[in-house]
Amino acid sequence: MSEPAVLIEHLFRRQAGKMVAHLTRLLGPARLDLAEEAVQDTMVRALQGWPFQGIPPNPEAWLFRVAHNAAIDAIRRRRETAEFVEAAAAPDLPDPDDQLRDDELRMVFLCCHPEIPRDAAVALSLKTVGGFSVREIARAFLADDAAIAQRLVRAKRLIRERGITLELPSAPDLEARLDAVLDVLYFIFNEGYAAHEGDALIRHDLCGEALRLARLVAASSLNHPRVDALVALMALQAARTPARVDALGNLVLLDDQDRALWDQRLIAMGFHHFDRSMTGDAVSAYHVEAAIAATHVRGPDWPVVLELYDDLLKLKPSPVVALNRAVAVAKVHGAEAGLAALPESAKLANYYLYLAVRGHLLAELGRSDEAIDAFRAALERPCSEPERRFLERKCAALRSR
Amino acid sequence: MPQFMLLLYDDPSEWMKVSPEEMQKAIEKYRAWTQKPFTKGSNRLADEPGRVIRSENGKPRATDGPYSETKEILGGYYLIEAADYDAAVALALDHPHLEYGGTLEVRQLWGPPAAS
Repeated sequence: MSEPAVLIEHLFRRQAGKMVAHLTRLLGPARLDLAEEAVQDTMVRALQGWPFQGIPPNPEAWLFRVAHNAAIDAIRRRRETAEFVEAAAAPDLPDPDDQLRDDELRMVFLCCHPEIPRDAAVALSLKTVGGFSVREIARAFLADDAAIAQRLVRAKRLIRERGITLELPSAPDLEARLDAVLDVLYFIFNEGYAAHEGDALIRHDLCGEALRLARLVAASSLNHPRVDALVALMALQAARTPARVDALGNLVLLDDQDRALWDQRLIAMGFHHFDRSMTGDAVSAYHVEAAIAATHVRGPDWPVVLELYDDLLKLKPSPVVALNRAVAVAKVHGAEAGLAALPESAKLANYYLYLAVRGHLLAELGRSDEAIDAFRAALERPCSEPERRFLERKCAALRSR
Repeated sequence: MPQFMLLLYDDPSEWMKVSPEEMQKAIEKYRAWTQKPFTKGSNRLADEPGRVIRSENGKPRATDGPYSETKEILGGYYLIEAADYDAAVALALDHPHLEYGGTLEVRQLWGPPAAS
């Protein structure tokens, strides 16, 4: 017996996204449910056959053919028009790669349509293009399955009711559509990167998926310098991921990270897109954030980072940006100045990172009791296990002084 | 060595909720079991309900399968070798079908009584 074929990692998830995109083009966005059902049905068939009959020589083509036929059967069962079935049956299978990439791109723009609220757009993108299940999405976002399912239903209803098509935006509404897509993708990336809680593996996949989709947009004719900026930002941040947690699963701060662990392939990708993002005149928040990430990767240069945060705060005045700027202020001008730069915001008072930063600065100034109070308050907020252990160690060190 | 059938029952609609990622893992696990040293055979039945033939008043009559009313259907089997029932059950406890919410029925194949 020959060595059994091995399936490429994540093949099914990736393939699910491609097949849903392909079938949605054939069936129309109003039949998105049907496309998803046909794809799921196909995977079940593979599960039933492959363990016993062996994995076919070209699993992708097998899945495509079966999904395609399942969709046509479903249409026939619904007694839809004959012309439609013929149109769907026509193309050769599987699609050539560039057609598939185009299908996926169209799906991204469909899912991230400005008329669909962001939380629903996030869920729909992950479900249809990303190939994640409702449960996996729920786990990644600490939501329950029903809430995610509800968002998906809402998104699909909006697509039907508003007659949203798979047409790619052209000049007049390109800007708004593109911004909506980038906003959703960056949100997905941050959810994966920030790792508040939840399943670490799925969160890692979220970062990868957001980066993959952003690159898809960057490689298309719809590209714009700020798309390159976002890709650069994601790649440069993701490059540092392997060094953020040590062998014991403990959090490692940027200044202490082992640079040898940074992913050189992602760094190269990041700088490539960073250079490309410089082609236009407009400077978006993504540009500035990419510049900050690039500065961190090149070497610690906190004065430059502080300048960049000053710029970012003007472009995107948010408490979280102000909080990050305060960290840079502390690095350049000392803890006292950093503490003074901490933004006053009711929203932040309950934010884990705000309390943790405050605790660090107070500890540096020797105000141990206040620091312990801040760390304790931070520990009451949702945070990841490595972050929790990090703060507990800090607290213990302060108490033993 | 005595042989045992592991009969796999499951509710096919349950699989419609499993994620593609998990589905791929399941394929690997079910396949790994077909290649265990004690596995002598395995196959899968198609999901369609099948036909049942019964004799009614001396006349055989075929009807649609027995599964239209029940949720769990017989979906496949593995044929394994084990010293006795206890050993067969011990092996079967590790079967991925249980992980995915299915039911296993373990039945020994008839063989001549052991000569002792």
